Amino acid sequence: MSLLELKGASFGYNQQDIFTDIYFKIDKGEIFCIIGPNGCGKTTLLDSILGILRLKRGDILINGGSMQKMRPHEIARQIAYIPQAHNKTFPYTVLDVVLMGRAAYTGIFSSPSEDDVVIAEEALALVGLTRLKSRPYTQLSGGEGQLVMIARALAQKTPLLIMDEPTAHLDFKHELTVLETVVQLINDTGLSIIMATHFPNHAFYFENNNIKTSVALMDQKTFSQVGSPGDVISEKNLMTLYEINAKVVACPIGNGGQLKQIIPISTIS
Amino acid sequence: MCAVKKKFIYAILFFSPLVFIFLSLFIGRYHVPLPAIMEILWLKLTLGYCNLPDTYVSVVWDIRLPRAILGALVGGCLAISGASFQGLFRNPLVSSGILGVSSGAGFGAALAILIFSTTSYVYVFAFFFGGLAVLMSYMIGRVYNATPAIMLVLGGVIVSSVFSALISFAKYVADPYNQLPAIVFWLMGSLASARYQDIAAAGIPMAVGIAGLLAIRWRINVLSMGDKEARSLGINTTLSKGIVISCATLATAGAVCVSGIIGWVGLVIPHIGRMLVGNDNRVLIPASLSLGACFMLLVDNLGRVITGSEIPLGILTAIVGGPFFVYLLKKTKGGGW
Repeated sequence: MSLLELKGASFGYNQQDIFTDIYFKIDKGEIFCIIGPNGCGKTTLLDSILGILRLKRGDILINGGSMQKMRPHEIARQIAYIPQAHNKTFPYTVLDVVLMGRAAYTGIFSSPSEDDVVIAEEALALVGLTRLKSRPYTQLSGGEGQLVMIARALAQKTPLLIMDEPTAHLDFKHELTVLETVVQLINDTGLSIIMATHFPNHAFYFENNNIKTSVALMDQKTFSQVGSPGDVISEKNLMTLYEINAKVVACPIGNGGQLKQIIPISTIS
Repeated sequence: MCAVKKKFIYAILFFSPLVFIFLSLFIGRYHVPLPAIMEILWLKLTLGYCNLPDTYVSVVWDIRLPRAILGALVGGCLAISGASFQGLFRNPLVSSGILGVSSGAGFGAALAILIFSTTSYVYVFAFFFGGLAVLMSYMIGRVYNATPAIMLVLGGVIVSSVFSALISFAKYVADPYNQLPAIVFWLMGSLASARYQDIAAAGIPMAVGIAGLLAIRWRINVLSMGDKEARSLGINTTLSKGIVISCATLATAGAVCVSGIIGWVGLVIPHIGRMLVGNDNRVLIPASLSLGACFMLLVDNLGRVITGSEIPLGILTAIVGGPFFVYLLKKTKGGGW
C-alpha cells in the first residue's frame, strides 16, 4: 500500500480538460518531481492532490483510502502544502505563522495549546530559524520566508509534503538552502515529497544525495514519461517537452562524485 | 515587547471599558452632584430605597447608564467586526461595512421612517435590511460555488452602492419637514435614544456576534493566509468564512440598528489595536472590542458636552479619531507595517 496513489486522475473545468488519466504512486522517503512547461496543469494537479479541487474521474488514495470522502482536516493531517510565493498581508510573527500548521488539530472555536507551541518551535528548529521566531515574517528574505513555509508544513506533522516550485524567486544560496533542508528532512524524518519544479536539475540534485527520486514529465495534459531522473531527463525528452535544444552534462563536484546538469541552449524555431 | 509590559496592556484593555462606562455616568449637561451619583449606584445595585430627587435617579440610571452600556457595545461591535473582516478579506483597508450592512441598514431605517412616519419600526427594518444586504453580497460572491475574497468584496461594493442609491431615493421622496430630517439624523448616528429595551433587543445579536468572533478568532489568522493555504492547513474555509461573516453581520447590524451609521470605528480602531498588541487575531480581536468600546464612549461623551445640542456621532468619530490615529502612527512607527 502506497502513501499516496493516483489512479486515472482527471480534472477539468466544464468541458475543458486540464489533466487526464494521471497514474503514479509515492512511498515513504521518496521524492517525486513533476516537470512540465508553463500552463501544463502542474498546479491544478497539486490542488487536486490537496483536496482543494474535486476530480472529474479517477481516484486519489491516501494509505489505501479514497481521498474523496475525507474532510479538510483529515487530509491536512496527511498532506501539507508549501506554496510557490506566499502573499503576505499582515505582519504576523514567524512563530504565529508556523503555529497555523496546527489548524488541522485544533477545533474550530479553539486556539492552539501549549503543546502546539512546542511542536511549532520544534518545526522552526528543524529548518534552523529559531532565532527569528519573534520577527514579523513580512520582514524576512525570500529564502527565510520559504523556510518558514516549510516549518509550517512540518508543524502539520504529515508524512507527505507538496511543494509548488519552492525555489522560484530565490537566489543560488537560498535555493540551495531550501534543497539542503529538504534533503535533510527526508533523511532525518522519512518524509515524502511531491514537487512541481521548473528546474530539472533539482531532480538530479536529489538523486545525487541518495534519495529515491522519480520524475514525471507532464505534457499534453498527462504524464508522458515517469521514471528515474537519468532515464527521463534526456536531451530528446527536453526537446519534445519544452521545444528546446539542451545538453545534459555530467560535472565533477570534487569528492569523486559528479552531478548531472541541464544546459539549455536554444529554442527550436 | 517584554512579557510584563504585555500583561499590563492586556489588563488595561480588559478593565478600561468598565472604567469608561463608570466615568460616563458623571458626564452630561444636567448637573447631578457627585455624591448623589455614587449613592444612586450603590442603592440601585443593592436594591435599596432611594430618597434622592427622581430627576437625579432618572438621569443617572435611566439615561446615562443605558446610553453608556449601549455605546460600549456599539463601539465594540463595530471594531471587532472590522478587525475580523480585515483578517478574513486579507485587506487592512476594509471595515465592518464592507459587505453592505451599513447601507442596507440605512435604507431599512429610511424606509421605516417613510412608511410609518415614526421611528418605532426603525430598529427592525434597519436590522433586517442590514442582514439582507450582506446576504446579497454573499450570494453575488458565490461564483464557482466558492467564495473568493475579492468576489465578496465586489459583491459588497455593488450591494452598497445600490442601497446608497435607494437611500438617496428615499430622501428625495421624503416629506422635507419631518421625514427628511429624521432620515438624515439617523444616518449620522446617535445613541441619544438609548433605553434598556434597546439594550435587551439589539444586545442579543450583538452579544452572539461578539461571542462568535471571540471564539473563532484564531481561525481568522489561518483564513488570512488565503483560501488555498487555509484549506491545505485543514480548514473548511466555506464554513469558517460563513461563521465569521454571520457573526460580524449580527454584531454590526445589531449595533447599526440602534445607533445609526457610525463610520470610521470599524476601519481604524483595529489598526490602533494592531499598533498596541500586534496582528495576531487571538489578541487583536479582544483588543479591538475593548478599544472600540472605549473610543465610542469617549466620542459620545464629548458629543454630549462640547456644545449645547448634541453633535452626531458619525461626525465626531472621524474628527476625534483622526488626530489620535496620526499620533499613534507617529508614536509606534506604524507598528510593523
